[in-house]
Amino acid sequence: MKIKNLALWLMVTVFAATSLAATSMEGQLAPDFALKSSTGENLRLSEYRGDVVMINFWATWCGPCRQEMPLLEELYARYERVGFNLLGVNIDDDANKAMQMIDELGVNFPILFDSRKEVSKLYNVETMPMTVLVDREGRVRYVHLGYKPGYENKYLDQIRSLLRE
Amino acid sequence: MTKFLISLIAIAGFAFSVTAAAQDGAEAKSAEAFRSLDREVQTLKKEVLDLNRDLFLLEEELLFPANSQVAFFISMDVGEYFELDSVSIRIDGKEVSNYLYTLREADALIRGGVHRVHMANLKTGDHELVAVFTGKGPHDRDYRRGATLKFKKGIGAKYVELEITDRLKKHQPEFVIKEWE
Repeated sequence: MKIKNLALWLMVTVFAATSLAATSMEGQLAPDFALKSSTGENLRLSEYRGDVVMINFWATWCGPCRQEMPLLEELYARYERVGFNLLGVNIDDDANKAMQMIDELGVNFPILFDSRKEVSKLYNVETMPMTVLVDREGRVRYVHLGYKPGYENKYLDQIRSLLRE
Repeated sequence: MTKFLISLIAIAGFAFSVTAAAQDGAEAKSAEAFRSLDREVQTLKKEVLDLNRDLFLLEEELLFPANSQVAFFISMDVGEYFELDSVSIRIDGKEVSNYLYTLREADALIRGGVHRVHMANLKTGDHELVAVFTGKGPHDRDYRRGATLKFKKGIGAKYVELEITDRLKKHQPEFVIKEWE
């Protein structure tokens, strides 16, 4: 019983620490990075300054990521022409698995490969998926840990409010 | 009666001119106060900007003191089209930089830009630099070239330029390493 309580307490502490680390990024300048994309081009976050950017960290082994991606694709298709960009950062060791999954799901937004996990360390990614919304000035405004049905409505509201700024 | 009216008009005129003079005086005083406030604000702004600049320079000096500072720059001088993809730098066997170039950045280098790819603190003595660049040349041909430089770090800052050039061998980009004096 004692061990169970200790394990539960430890889990709660780790979760709280993770959320704190992620939300403490809000208001800060989004750490800049460059990664190779699925088209072979290198893409750098700071070159999107002036646009609203959503950075979505995902992996092929993550079930909620699979659920969320088609909805992100809809957001991208809808708002890309008015200054919204979506960067899907994949953290799998094998980029081929990621390519297979994006073909399967029919994803068109840029996918970047972070197989060395350098960018995910920079953003303290400990929960998958993790979604970061960056405003036109390059500041992190919202951080979402995980995905549950209904989150896409929050994303929609936040994207629209950032586009209006 | 006439005398009384004339005196009344004279007094009214005098009172009016005194009021107008007082008003002018007050306006002049407030304009002067505004100007002096504006001058103070401008002076304060300049002081803040100067302080900001001094703090920035101090921070750089503290983090990268001139006597141990080494900076590495990338430049390009290619006749044939060469799309630079990445440059990696190892100093004394340790990878210190692995920079991915976007199309925009590579284009800036081709147009004559110089990129400070890495800055470090090194002790005086012998060191080894290994730089590798990868990219695509004409006809989509992949290139991967490296260069090694053994250098001596003395007292004072050191600047090393890594130039990607095809002047030595046409259609073949190579690294040329130059140390700036």
